[in-house]
Amino acid sequence: MHISEGVLSAPALVTGALLAAGGVAAGLKKMDYERIPEVAVLSSAFFVASLIHVPIGPSSVHLVLNGLLGVLLGWMAFPAILVALALHAVLFQFGGLTSLGVNTVIMAAPAVTAYYLFNRPIRRGGHLLSTLAGFGSGAAGIALGAVLVAVALVSTGEEFTGVARLVLAAHLPVMVIEGIVTGFCVIFLKKVKPEVLEVGK
Amino acid sequence: MNENSRFKIQGSKFKIRVPGFRVVNGAIILLLILSSTAYAHKVSIYAYAEDGMIHSEGYFADGTRSRNSRVEVFDARTGEKLLEGRTDNEGRFSFRIPRAASIRLVLHASMGHRNDYTLSEGEVKEALGIPEQETGQQEEPEGKPRSDAPPPPTPRSDTTPAAGAPSAEMEAMVERVMDRKLQPVITMLLKLQEEAGRPGTTEILGGIGYIIGLMGMAMYFKNRRKG
Repeated sequence: MHISEGVLSAPALVTGALLAAGGVAAGLKKMDYERIPEVAVLSSAFFVASLIHVPIGPSSVHLVLNGLLGVLLGWMAFPAILVALALHAVLFQFGGLTSLGVNTVIMAAPAVTAYYLFNRPIRRGGHLLSTLAGFGSGAAGIALGAVLVAVALVSTGEEFTGVARLVLAAHLPVMVIEGIVTGFCVIFLKKVKPEVLEVGK
Repeated sequence: MNENSRFKIQGSKFKIRVPGFRVVNGAIILLLILSSTAYAHKVSIYAYAEDGMIHSEGYFADGTRSRNSRVEVFDARTGEKLLEGRTDNEGRFSFRIPRAASIRLVLHASMGHRNDYTLSEGEVKEALGIPEQETGQQEEPEGKPRSDAPPPPTPRSDTTPAAGAPSAEMEAMVERVMDRKLQPVITMLLKLQEEAGRPGTTEILGGIGYIIGLMGMAMYFKNRRKG
């Protein structure tokens, strides 16, 4: 899901950077002292998750965990993902520094969406509902991310439309995998440490 | 008959129990597969010129080839697009050198992955057999770039002038032998280059260290504001 440097046009990059800055600001505002270690741990998890990949067709896709981050962190997912992506770009040349904003939005916006859609059912629901909502948040994180990649690529020119469709198709298997992984994580956390799911207003 | 029916019952029993079990199992197996296949997510391209052709190879950071990806070829100096093609199943794309100039290859793998590689003018010209500007002689223009490239052949190029003017035959033979001998070295270099692009433990731990450092900073500033 990392878009490389030099692929997108300047307007797309600037739009992405501005949106990311807004999201990060909102996240930092919500982040109180006690939550900082949790944000850091999840940021690390996100940082490492992208190194585990599944080869699919001509390309490969990897675990993203943005749905999990979203459900657990809400808006704080923005700074967590920004930091991890910046390190990806600097250390591994995954993505790039100019496309950092766009990539942050691509992965963090779905995370926040997953928070609003699934956090409540996970906390309030029974075992089954929580599991399903966990699966949903993982899958939705990927699906919306894929849609955003597609939007970013399409906005740069007509020729990308086909590729954009491919992005969606290629991410279908990861959606399922992420859903399962996130479902398990969420259920485990709910049993062991339910207060983690209380993100606050 | 009897046995058959028993098998059927067992089979159906098994089926009833399966769903949750299979999901868990599936997840575990998937995770195992996932964690065994290593890192990905950056595409690289490498190219070299030889015998009037340019050969390029595209691969992801984990070593898988980037198949059926678009490669654009530009004149590196003027930026003019010369041709474009697609990589084959091995991630390779070869083409005849379109121009005796520095050449830039841009690989577009799917989903916004992209990278480029530039071949210097010297490399391209050598592959075309065009001598560098200084070497104006007719007889041994080929010998010059070759003798200054790898150290091993130096004794040989010392013996050539002693034996008289190097014949075309001799030259072709040396070239063939060198190609054969250097093949493993080139393969090794390619592999090393591929590996260098992979994230190592140092980087991963370093990255986590950075995050912990940032956490400390964030906590420090939040704490100060509080107090």
